[in-house]
Amino acid sequence: MNGDMGSYVATKLEEIGPSVSVALEIGMDTYFDVVRGLTDNFAGKKGLMCVYITSSVPSSAMLSALKMLEVGTKDIHFIDCISHLVSRDIAPSENTIYIDNPTMLENIILKVDFLSRKMKGKTMLVVLDSINSLAIHNDVKMLSEFLQVLLSGLKSKGAYPVIISVAGQAKPELKEVMTLVCDQIVPVQLIP
Amino acid sequence: MQAAELSGERAKCVTGIDGLDSILGGGIPISNMVLVTGGSGTGKTTLAVEFLLRGASKGEKGLLISTFESPDKMMSNIPHFDFFDEKYVKDGTLQILELGPLLDRAGIKQRILDEESVIRLAEMIEKTLVENGVKRFVLDSLSSLLYGIEDQMVAKVLLQRLSAAIYASRCTGLLISDKAGPSDIEGFVSDGIISMDNHERRGDLLRTIQVTKMKGTSHSRSKFVIDLTSWGVLMTPLLKGGGVS
Repeated sequence: MNGDMGSYVATKLEEIGPSVSVALEIGMDTYFDVVRGLTDNFAGKKGLMCVYITSSVPSSAMLSALKMLEVGTKDIHFIDCISHLVSRDIAPSENTIYIDNPTMLENIILKVDFLSRKMKGKTMLVVLDSINSLAIHNDVKMLSEFLQVLLSGLKSKGAYPVIISVAGQAKPELKEVMTLVCDQIVPVQLIP
Repeated sequence: MQAAELSGERAKCVTGIDGLDSILGGGIPISNMVLVTGGSGTGKTTLAVEFLLRGASKGEKGLLISTFESPDKMMSNIPHFDFFDEKYVKDGTLQILELGPLLDRAGIKQRILDEESVIRLAEMIEKTLVENGVKRFVLDSLSSLLYGIEDQMVAKVLLQRLSAAIYASRCTGLLISDKAGPSDIEGFVSDGIISMDNHERRGDLLRTIQVTKMKGTSHSRSKFVIDLTSWGVLMTPLLKGGGVS
């Protein structure tokens, strides 16, 4: 597609509705447009709490990027699985929960559960960024089980679960898993 | 008699710890003495304190006997729970007692207990449970209480007497222990065993919980990963990744 990618992502999620697990298959050139679409055009406009699980970029870098994009970050809670692995200098942040390692998948599920309780039933958009980076640290069978537990829990809570998947970077077995655990796979790439 | 008892099922103490009640099929059968075992830092005391606080929030009286540290120090080491209310301690719904004064009240001078003194101690505990209408009891820790007792018979008598005291007072008890397996006397005498552990995965430690024994209810025997949070102990199944080890 071409045009306003952020609006497209928001419209698409609005059409799909809650309790449906969605994989957004993005190109690297659309990454920030998609992130803005999720956090601002969709969650921001709908007044949703956004839980952003990051395993590719440290949450501090994501926060800086979102601020540059002029996206409000008050209602965005990060679950950061990568900072401890790539940096020794981690400043505590009110809206960020750190996980030691992206292999501690159960802890991601538990932190999402914790945030969900803390938000006292507010509807959540939960973004997993990205399945490709989690696949670097975990085997596919483990990821498959993790996604099944995480997504079924979120669907039962009426949340909007979204998994970011970078097109062309996933092995065939990972693609199979995504087909199995996601209700919809939405390509979000620029047409050359 | 409650509906559950009429249907042949044991009445249960709903712990209030979400995941644990699911694992236990609704809660711990009332009057059970349950061993909570595991190494240091696995979350045993935190779980036990949540058990007491969840009960207190429903008006159920709780008693914690601490064998090795003062009540103040013990509470200061527990993670801050959002559902903690100081009034539980102030109005006596939750009592925290140190073992030393309790032994003095029972007229027990020695700190390494013999058979006669464990019987007197169990009687004192039963009296306290009955007189105060305690519904939830925690002993933290059994290991510390048994420390130095070489005669296994003394340990067995203590456990049997505690079990009888808990049964007689119709409360539900958790005994915290740093060690115990199915062959140990603690596990043999107890009505239930909740094992807490550190599961190592590629160098990282995940806190886990597993109910390996619970008389009076059918329960899951799977292992769950836990997180100690201000909302209490949260649980999710341990991922196996399709492998069997």
